[in-house]
Amino acid sequence: MINPSNGIMSPSSSSSANAQSPGLKTYFKTPEGRYKLHYEKTHPTGLLHYAHGKTVTQVTLAHLKDKPVPASATAPSSSFSAGGSVRSAAARFLSGSNGSRALSFVGGNGGSKSLSGSSRVGSLGASSSSNLVGSLSFDGKGTYLIFNVGDTIFISDLNSQDKDPIKALHFGNSNPVCHAFDPDAKDGHDLLIGLNSGDAYSVSLRQQLQDVGKKLVGAHHYNKDGCVNNSRCTSIAWLPGSDGTFIVAHADGNLYVYEKSKDGAGDSTFPVIKDQNQLSVSHARYSKSNPIARWHICQGSINSIAFSTDGAYIATVGRDGYLRVFDYLKEQLICGSKSYYGALLCCAWSVDGKYILTGGEDDLVQVWSMEDRKVVAWCEGHNSWVSGVAFDSYWSSPNSDGIGETVMYRFGSVGQDTQLLLWDLEMDEIVVPLRRSLPGGSPTFSTGSQSSHWDSSCPVGTLQPAPSMRDVPKLSPLVAHRVHTEPLSGLIFTQESVLTVCREGHIKVWMRPGFAESLSSNSETVLSTSLKEKPLLSGKIGSSSYKQ
Amino acid sequence: MGAAGSKLEKALGDQFPEGERYFGLENFGNTCYCNSVLQALYFCVPFREQLLEYYADNKNIGDVEENLLTCLADLFTQISSQKKKTGVIAPKRFVQRLKKQNELFRSYMHQKEARAAKSDPGTSSPSEKTANGPKNAQANGVSKEPLVTWVHKNFQGILTNETRCLRCETVTARDETFFDLSLDIEQNSSITSCLKNFSSTETLNAEDKFFCDKCCSLQEAQKRMKIKKPPHILVIHLKRFKYIEQLGRYKKLSYRVVFPLELKLSNTVEDADSEYSLFAVVVHVGSGPNHGHYVSLVKSHNHWLFFDDENVEMIDESAVQTFFGSAQEYSSNTDHGYILFYESLASSDKS
Repeated sequence: MINPSNGIMSPSSSSSANAQSPGLKTYFKTPEGRYKLHYEKTHPTGLLHYAHGKTVTQVTLAHLKDKPVPASATAPSSSFSAGGSVRSAAARFLSGSNGSRALSFVGGNGGSKSLSGSSRVGSLGASSSSNLVGSLSFDGKGTYLIFNVGDTIFISDLNSQDKDPIKALHFGNSNPVCHAFDPDAKDGHDLLIGLNSGDAYSVSLRQQLQDVGKKLVGAHHYNKDGCVNNSRCTSIAWLPGSDGTFIVAHADGNLYVYEKSKDGAGDSTFPVIKDQNQLSVSHARYSKSNPIARWHICQGSINSIAFSTDGAYIATVGRDGYLRVFDYLKEQLICGSKSYYGALLCCAWSVDGKYILTGGEDDLVQVWSMEDRKVVAWCEGHNSWVSGVAFDSYWSSPNSDGIGETVMYRFGSVGQDTQLLLWDLEMDEIVVPLRRSLPGGSPTFSTGSQSSHWDSSCPVGTLQPAPSMRDVPKLSPLVAHRVHTEPLSGLIFTQESVLTVCREGHIKVWMRPGFAESLSSNSETVLSTSLKEKPLLSGKIGSSSYKQ
Repeated sequence: MGAAGSKLEKALGDQFPEGERYFGLENFGNTCYCNSVLQALYFCVPFREQLLEYYADNKNIGDVEENLLTCLADLFTQISSQKKKTGVIAPKRFVQRLKKQNELFRSYMHQKEARAAKSDPGTSSPSEKTANGPKNAQANGVSKEPLVTWVHKNFQGILTNETRCLRCETVTARDETFFDLSLDIEQNSSITSCLKNFSSTETLNAEDKFFCDKCCSLQEAQKRMKIKKPPHILVIHLKRFKYIEQLGRYKKLSYRVVFPLELKLSNTVEDADSEYSLFAVVVHVGSGPNHGHYVSLVKSHNHWLFFDDENVEMIDESAVQTFFGSAQEYSSNTDHGYILFYESLASSDKS
C-alpha cells in the first residue's frame, strides 16, 4: 500500500495515461470491480456565462425522511445518521410514490431506483396519506443533491435519471457558496446556506421543495448584510447531535457559532482581534445574541471545517496551510500541523474519529492520525491541487470480518487535475515508519506494536511545522481516473455510489460494483440488498454525507 | 496620475508601507512587457536594494559609462526617491538604452546565458519581439558588469543533467547554471506537477541515442534533470507559446496551471524542503501570440498590487487565482500567469 520512497511508479500510471486521451470513460476499475457512471446532474443549460467561474460549486447530500419522523425508529444505528440508514429506512416507507414532473419536483424515491420513471408515476395523494401534517401534498421523502452555481442553489433528485434539477433558488445580491444539511433536525430547519457576502440562512429543505417560487421561503437570516462579519463564507457545518447549533467559517480567519433557535436580534459585537496570528475565542455578551461566539483561528482564510462524527472535535484548514483540531466544548486547540507547502483546501474525518484527511496546494493528500498526533502518510498521485477528500465509510475491507486483522480504510480524493483517486490505507504498515532514515534511502517499516518514535514529541495544543519530505511515508493511489473535463471541487461517498462534482457545477454519480448490476433488475432487489447489507456496516454508518 | 495615485493611497490608508513607492510606468509603445518585468524586478527587494546601493556608490565614484545596469539603477533610484508615494514615471532612459543595446546585441549569437536572468520569452513569443528584445539586452548588460556576482547570487541556480548509459550503467553528470526554469505545461495541472515532469526520467533511444564516452558509441540512456543548487530568486517561465507544426505558427496555450503562493522544490537534490514565496507574476493578456498585453501582479509588504503600465491598483490575494488560466479551450478569460517570481524564505546567505 505504501511506497517507501518517492520514486516508485504508481500502479495507476496506466489509467492516467488513458486519461490523456480525449473523451472520458464511463467506468473505472478497482480491485473489487467496476464503478459505472450512472447519472449526471447539472444546472439547466441556459445558465448565463457570467455566472461561471465566479463561484466554485459544492455539493451537499440531503436525505429527507418521512414526516413526522417514525423513520428514526427504524434507523436506530446512529443518532447522527446519514447515507444508508436513512435511505433504507425511507425506502421501506415508501413503495413507489414518484411525484409528478408537472409539479416540478419528484417525490418519494428513497430506495426505488426505477429507471423507467413511467411505471412509477404515482398519485401524490396516496403518498401524502402518511403525512399527518396535512395540507401539504408533498411528502418530500428522498435523497437530494444541493449544489450552488453562480447566484443559484439547485436541488436535484439523486435517484432520478433527470439531469436537470427539480428546483432552483435564486439569491439576488450575493452568491451562495457553501451549504450543509442535518438529517436529524427537529424543527424542520435542516439546510444551511452561506453566501459570498458573509450572510447565512437556515431553511427547511422540505419547505423549499413544496414551494413553487424561486426564492427561499421561511428562512432565518443570520449575519444580515454582513453586519457581524462581511467576509466571504467558506464553509458551514451543523454541530452533530446538537439540534440547532451551527458554525460558519469565513475568509478572514474567523468562525462563528450560531443557534438556529435564536432570532439574532441582540447585539453581537465582539472585541477587536489584537493579534491576527493568535487563537482567540470570544462569547457574545448577551444571552439573546446570535452568533453566540466567535473563534478567531488564523490569519487568512479558513478554507474548510469538519466536525468529527460525535461532534467532540472540529478540524479547520486554511490559507496558512495549517490543519488545526479543536476540542469543541473546551474551545481548545488539541493538535495540528502545516502542509508540506501552500494552503490546505479541504478536510474530512474518518467515522471512528481516528484519522483526518486534508488536501491542498502541495498536490498531496495528507493523513493525520489523532492517536499519534502526526501526519502518518502523504498520498502522491494528483497533478494539481487537491480540492476534495472523503473516507468511504461504506467500504468494508476484505479482511474486516476477522477480528484482530489489520484495519483498513478506503478513501477518495479529487483534484483540480480533474481526477478522482481512490486509496487504501492499511494501518499496521503505516503507523510505524522509522523517523530517521538516511537521505536517499527509503524509510523502513516495521510491523507490530506502535513504536516509541512517535510518542512524546508533541504536547497537546501545539502546531507542528511541515514535516520533511523524507520523514513521511508515501502512499500511491489504488485507482486514478479522470472523471470530468473541468477541475473538480468535491466528492461524496454514498452506500451505492461515489459522487464527483466539478467547479462549474456538473455532478456525476458513479455506481459501486454490484449496485450497478442490480439496477437493471427491479427496485425491490435493490431495496432488499441495501437492507441486508446494513448489519455489515453497523458502526460504520456515519457522516460521510455530512461533510463532503 | 494624481487621481489614480490617491485612490491607491486611499485604499491602503495608514497601512501604506513606510518608505515604499508604488509608481506606474509609462508605455512608449509596445513596452508593456518591459514595464511588467521592471515592476517585478523592482519589488524583488534584495535585488533592488543591491542595485540602489550600487547606484549610490557609483555616483560618488564619478562618471561610469552608461550601460543598462546604470540605467536600471537610475530608474530604481528615481522611483524610490520620489516625494510622492504614488504616481507615474517614464522609464525613458532605460528604454532608450535598451533599444540601443538590443541592436548591439542582436548580432551576438549566444544569447542563451544572457537571456536567462529575466526569463525571456523571446524564443516562444515571436510577436513580442520589440518587447522581448530589450529583455535579452538587459540581461546581457547586467551580466557584463563586474557586479555580476550579486545578479548571480540572486538569480542563479545550478542544474545537474544526469545521464545513465543503459549498457555500461555509467552515470554522466553535467552541471549547468540557470537563471530561470522554462517549464512545459499541461491542461489542469500545477506548477508542482510541471516541475515534477521537468525532472522526470526520460529515456533516450531510437533516433535520440546518447553518445557514451565509456562505450564509445551511441547507446540507449536515461536522462534526468535535477536542481543541484536552487537559486535564491526562482524564476519560472511557463511555455505558453507553443509552435504548432500543423499550423505552421505559434499558438498560445491558455491551459489552467495553478501556482501556489508558497512552493518547495521537492525534486531538488539537496535542501528539498526549503520554501519559496511567490512575490511577482508577469501576466500575458490576450488570446493569441500575435497580440496582447502584459501586466504584473506584485506582492509588497503583504499587499498584492496590480501594475498595468501607468496604473497601479491594490488587489486581494485571492484575485491571484484568476490568472491561472482556463480549463476550457475557448474562454473569455485571457489573462494568464506567464512568469512567476518566487523568493526563498531561507536566509539569503545560506549557501
